[in-house]
Amino acid sequence: MDVDRLKGQIFEHGKNEGFTDMEIFHENNSGFSCKVFKGEIDNYVVSEEGGISFRGVHNKQMGYSYTEKIDESAIKVLVEMAKENAEIVENEEEEIIFKGSKEYKNINLCSNGLAGIPTDKKLDFIKELERKAYSIDNRVINVNDCIYNDYENERGLYNTKGLDKNEKSNFALSYISVIVRENDEIQNARAFKICRDFRDFNTESLAKRVVDRALSYLGAKPVKSKTYTILLENIASADLLKTFSGIFSADNVQKGRSLLKGKLGEAIGSMPLTIIDDPFMDGGVAGRSFDSEGVASEKMSLVEEGILQGLLHNLKTAKKDGVESTGHGYKSSYKGAITVAPSNLYIQPGLNTYEDMVSSMDEGLIITELQGLHSGANTVSGDFSLAAKGYYVKNGKIENPVNQITIAGNFYEVLKNIEIVGEDLKFAMPDITYVGSPSLKIKDISVAGE
Amino acid sequence: MLNEKFIEDIIMVALSTGGDFAEVFVEDRYNTEITMIGGKVENSISGRDFGVGIRIFKGLNSVYAYTNQHNKDALMDMAIKTGGAMQGTKRDMELDFVKYDYRNINPIECLPNSVGKSQKVAVMREAYEAADGYSDRISQVIVRYLDYNQNILVANSEGKFAEDERIRTRISIQSIASKDNEMQTGLYSPGAHMGFEFYDKIDVGQYGREASRIAVTMLGAEPCPSGRFPVIIDNKFGGVIFHEACGHGLEATSVAKKSSVFADKIGQQVATDIVTAIDDGTIPNAWGSSNIDDEGEPTRKNILIENGILKGYMIDKLNARRMKMDTTGSARRQSYKFAPTSRMTNTYIAAGESTPEEIISNTECGIYAKYMGGGSVNPATGDFNFAVMEGYLVKNGRVDKPVRGATLIGNGPDILYKIDMVGNNLEYGQGMCGSISGAIPTNVGQPMIRVSEITVGGRSGGK
Repeated sequence: MDVDRLKGQIFEHGKNEGFTDMEIFHENNSGFSCKVFKGEIDNYVVSEEGGISFRGVHNKQMGYSYTEKIDESAIKVLVEMAKENAEIVENEEEEIIFKGSKEYKNINLCSNGLAGIPTDKKLDFIKELERKAYSIDNRVINVNDCIYNDYENERGLYNTKGLDKNEKSNFALSYISVIVRENDEIQNARAFKICRDFRDFNTESLAKRVVDRALSYLGAKPVKSKTYTILLENIASADLLKTFSGIFSADNVQKGRSLLKGKLGEAIGSMPLTIIDDPFMDGGVAGRSFDSEGVASEKMSLVEEGILQGLLHNLKTAKKDGVESTGHGYKSSYKGAITVAPSNLYIQPGLNTYEDMVSSMDEGLIITELQGLHSGANTVSGDFSLAAKGYYVKNGKIENPVNQITIAGNFYEVLKNIEIVGEDLKFAMPDITYVGSPSLKIKDISVAGE
Repeated sequence: MLNEKFIEDIIMVALSTGGDFAEVFVEDRYNTEITMIGGKVENSISGRDFGVGIRIFKGLNSVYAYTNQHNKDALMDMAIKTGGAMQGTKRDMELDFVKYDYRNINPIECLPNSVGKSQKVAVMREAYEAADGYSDRISQVIVRYLDYNQNILVANSEGKFAEDERIRTRISIQSIASKDNEMQTGLYSPGAHMGFEFYDKIDVGQYGREASRIAVTMLGAEPCPSGRFPVIIDNKFGGVIFHEACGHGLEATSVAKKSSVFADKIGQQVATDIVTAIDDGTIPNAWGSSNIDDEGEPTRKNILIENGILKGYMIDKLNARRMKMDTTGSARRQSYKFAPTSRMTNTYIAAGESTPEEIISNTECGIYAKYMGGGSVNPATGDFNFAVMEGYLVKNGRVDKPVRGATLIGNGPDILYKIDMVGNNLEYGQGMCGSISGAIPTNVGQPMIRVSEITVGGRSGGK
């Protein structure tokens, strides 16, 4: 049973049940994942799955439903569940099913440099990566994760207002984690690479990066508890921005879950801070030409030289604020309701090299890794207190590795305390969004250690 | 679900290329999620998950494939392709399913789909009103309701054929308190392996008030000092410390590959002798319980640590081969989209002898963590971190003023040796645990405990 044939029947049944405007969102995902452990393929997963979701306006309220069992039974199930849901919803704003934007940018999110790669080549790659990691240094006692994944996603959006859009995207990810030991001390580091072209994977550089990093932590100890200037390395900085990216959502602002209320046009960050959301960015995993409501995507500046320029909107939040949707209506999958989320969001890189930033520090810490972001960061208040790893810097030089410390602060204050923005933009592991940052030099961070 | 003969065919095909074990997992699940913001129902979503996972082992190699196709051709095709990842020749075998008839430890009185959505909304409203009415400082209350009915079937080439129905119900109340340009939050999320009768057994209003009380208390709190202190961690969700600091390191997932600090330590002392820790998937109707695990094994009560001595791990089938040990009924997965692996169920530190009053009055200077937030651990090093949602200073044996923004960090094996008092007030809290086989419901639990020294990360300098 395919969705093309089902959708007409669902709309027809919905109409009979009293729905006015209706929409179907459909997703198909296929994936491959493999993991190697000591030369053997330890885990090998292939998948082919998807689902359809239905939403429609019934007595002015929007009801949602979805199913992964795509057959005749879906018609009745989807419409009935959505109707039951619409009956209890109490929204005051008008519900909108969108007829479509005037123009959509033509972008290519699906590369042949990935789709055509035979499985054997992927297996060879991941085995080679593990082998290299062991061979670089005999203190590598365990490559505890060595994974290759690729995904292909196809999504389609159809509604009774005539919208008919679909888009295909793919990407591949390789992830490695190593454990090193010297005497009785154990240290661990992780690294990953994301790309759309298989040829961009390089076992040598990825293995070297992760092993060097793990070895560099040997001898790590806590520092004295006090306030430090820190150099937050690009990926750690991207992780922090990703955790707090919700503050730019107009939905959160309107519902009192972001402190950016009434701050448009005001300085919320220091001069060097510019934040961009670019759905068309080359290689952006969260790229798209239309959002989950069918609105055409566009590149926008959220913050320019510290000034808040705009918030991320979907149709509903835009209407409430009397502006146009920015194309950030978002559904996490066919299972979700429409919310707001960025696409490829990043802090625009500056001109400073990493080395220059390190040598500009009299005393401070380089923070390379943050942990506990899902629990130690309060996305409403902006407060965070996170376990961290890195290096202690004295007179512009790295003195020793550091662990068992926490860094604490408030994200809104951090934005204002950014002194220097590096040139080395990198992106964090993608989940619903793809967030990047260069390394940032930030003053006044509370550090707890000894 | 799928019929027996069909499943048998899939298993036989899956083993046609030399695999020595094959398993089919079928899941059919109905979900309801309702969100109420500011007292109004903002969203209500319901839906059905359906899919099939096929797993094949050959020695220590494993292959997993999943799909939500349900017709015979597509599934046979997937079985052939999955088997194709193994290279070898077919062994002769016969398959004779033995239907497993288990005791039902999680009886359900009121199926969620037999209750109208408006009744579910009424429960949410009760929670909302209690939370909102607690104080003028409460600026927003978000109530989330969820229930699901998950039917699973596991069959394998060893003849196992088992089914289970898991019905889980949960309500989550988040209160936001505001003053000037500052916000603080409080969260309470009770849940159980129960139907709608859960709401006859709990007072949602009390949880709503508690969420608001936490938010308002934290609004007036000063930043937590940082440094090393004795820390008293209260019961219920406080058990997250054991879950993060040690529990993950006792999962075969990390033990089997010796990437856990607890590998090869059975029989050795790993904690102070007042520490006994248990993972028990059989607690009736508890959030992390189920009749069988996701490999079809009956769940069990597994003693992990007894009086400080390491007694056992949580082990799934594949890791059991690697470790040459038996499985422990601990294999879990979020859905058919994940191969199962060893995970926690209801994990807790057993009750000791001290009263909470004794613990506090014996602490001259330290931190009292009344409610914990979540946390995480790096199993390779045992380094953990977790957030304190509601914390206080302890001075001269008494609970002093509230402090906010505290994070506790430390090392799992190390902290077990520093637990120097264990209370007598064991209770549980509910959480979602994320790991390689997805996000699963887990209970954490403990009585009040005291750790002689933990690094506390806060914002107000050294002590």
